[in-house]
Amino acid sequence: MKSGVPKAGVLSSLYRNRGLVAVLVARDLKARYRGTFLGYLWSLLNPLLLLAVYTVVFTWVIPARVTSEVPFPLFLFAGLLPWGFVSGALLDAAVVLADNGPLLRKVVCPPEVFPAVTVFSHLVHHLLALPILLVAIAVAAGNGLVRFPWTVVLLPVVLFIWLVAVGGLALAVAALAVHFRDLKDLLHNLLNIFFFATPIIYPLEMIRVPILKRLIQANPATPLILLYRDVVLLGRLPSLAAWGWAAAVAAVFWLTGSWIFSRLRETIAETV
Amino acid sequence: MSDPPAVRLAGVSKRYPPLTRRGRLHSLKGALLHGDLWRVKEEHNGFLALSKVDVEIAPGETFAVIGPNGSGKSTLLKLVAGILQPTSGSVEVEGRVTALIELGAGFHPEISGRDNAIVNGMMLGLSRSEVMSRLDEIIEFSGIGPFIDQPVKTYSSGMYVRLGFAVAVVVEPNVLVVDEILAVGDEAFAHRCLDRIAKLQRRGTAILLVSHDLGLVEQLAQRALYLKGGVPVLTGQAAAAVARYRSDVATDEAGGESAGGSSRRWGNGAVTLDQVELLDGNGRPIRLLMSGEAAGIRLSYTVRVPQDDFVFGIAVHREDGSYVFGTNTDLDGWTPERLAGSGQITLEFPRLELAPGRYLVDAAVHARGGLAYDYACEIMSFTVTAPVGWPGCYAARHGWNPRGPVMTPSSE
Repeated sequence: MKSGVPKAGVLSSLYRNRGLVAVLVARDLKARYRGTFLGYLWSLLNPLLLLAVYTVVFTWVIPARVTSEVPFPLFLFAGLLPWGFVSGALLDAAVVLADNGPLLRKVVCPPEVFPAVTVFSHLVHHLLALPILLVAIAVAAGNGLVRFPWTVVLLPVVLFIWLVAVGGLALAVAALAVHFRDLKDLLHNLLNIFFFATPIIYPLEMIRVPILKRLIQANPATPLILLYRDVVLLGRLPSLAAWGWAAAVAAVFWLTGSWIFSRLRETIAETV
Repeated sequence: MSDPPAVRLAGVSKRYPPLTRRGRLHSLKGALLHGDLWRVKEEHNGFLALSKVDVEIAPGETFAVIGPNGSGKSTLLKLVAGILQPTSGSVEVEGRVTALIELGAGFHPEISGRDNAIVNGMMLGLSRSEVMSRLDEIIEFSGIGPFIDQPVKTYSSGMYVRLGFAVAVVVEPNVLVVDEILAVGDEAFAHRCLDRIAKLQRRGTAILLVSHDLGLVEQLAQRALYLKGGVPVLTGQAAAAVARYRSDVATDEAGGESAGGSSRRWGNGAVTLDQVELLDGNGRPIRLLMSGEAAGIRLSYTVRVPQDDFVFGIAVHREDGSYVFGTNTDLDGWTPERLAGSGQITLEFPRLELAPGRYLVDAAVHARGGLAYDYACEIMSFTVTAPVGWPGCYAARHGWNPRGPVMTPSSE
């Protein structure tokens, strides 16, 4: 085996190091709640408390009726959960290579492992929070507020598309952040803008200004969030076009991100 | 040299790009509009850390890199370890390479020593099951005992380093890259490290070593590269490279009296000594000799100008300068006739009865009148071992014969 200049792609390298990625994700999770009394329960409690606050605020404080189909707190929660996955993973990806600088400089360690670990540990957190959403939907369904969305069986497919998209973005962010320290701050603002430019806290149909609606539809994050919410909350079977659009976005994100990463890969260890 | 080399560096240069206040890229605009980001490799200014280095290391060989601070030693190690990529030239490494550049790098403070050892082992290229099967050995070697299940943040720096070393050596790499690590840890740990490294040597691991401890370099390495300012000065036998480095340092300290070249080696170059080796009774190169064994000292030479007046000589002395033995072909009655091309001449000892210790060898080829073609002081060193540490420099074969005193010999 010649290990001189590994020309293999990011994907095959990650597959080869899947054991390492798994162990590092486990380490991340272990370290995260180490020393806390409630441990992994926090992964459940955090979203639960968030949902409780939204329910109180948007049911009694500001009775919001932006959508007629489902209670607004549920609508909001089904948008915020996946958004938390994206923004958390990307913000961590921006610092993950710098944080692991000693490893990259002193140990023979493939750098693509670290953004992958970031994405997977955020995915695990997302999966831990997901039962809260599903239980809340089931409770609402039991009270006749919504119909239980059986389309939720398609969620693994949606999550896979999300994983590909977030993975590509995280690779790009991680590699670029090594060279531009500004990216970390820039990213905060970009994520804020996209938070409001994506139909997370409002449904797409609510926008009346045609050009604004066109703009938000063109936002690459829009098809992803629509797909997620259709499947997990609204119980709509997404059209083939919706699937295709989201999958295309994910594929472009992945290809671009892994291309950027592999171009900058060799310079990471000496710059970080 | 039928085996393929474990490590092969051909014309390797490494240039670090200039770092500006904003990092390596001069501006965001340049990066995005002119594509600087994608062409960072084509830097022509910046710092040349390593220039056209050629090195081949055979499996089982220990090769040292020596030189002053900032001479590119660590850069060379990182290139071999695959942490850095060369700006030009090629780096080929056969098999698994493990780098001991910083022990315990990347330990997570909140996680137990056991979990960190597993993660670290996998980073060094083992599969999970391979690490698990060696975990007991790691824990045993590290000597951390019951603390292995405590978070690493509670460890002393010595425990930290021991665990790091324990993980790195159970990986049993084909190529081991070691940077100055033996400077850490206590005496006992340093001995365990050396013992472990000797085991790896015997297993056929090629070892690339950087150290400022020149005694250690001579003790461990067969060959060495002397780097100065990123430029290779000399690649050769460890003792020769160390001698050259030492004499350069001495010359620099003395204010540069004899600029260029080693003051410990002189001659007109008509004939050059390429290599001086200690051989065992079977003609194999060795560095360690049992007192009383058969041995030989072989000189390999190349002739630039054919000679009919020549003498080969060898002198052996102790590190303190005391002269042990010396002879030459003229003294021993050999009449020179013709010397051309390249060849070898070996001084053979049926039994080399030297006292245990370290010996230095001077080798020379010169005219009978004394004109030196090549005269190399301390070009090679070797160590003699014996079951008993007899003082002096001659360990004559001997036995005691008591007639009167009542004594019992040891069973051996």
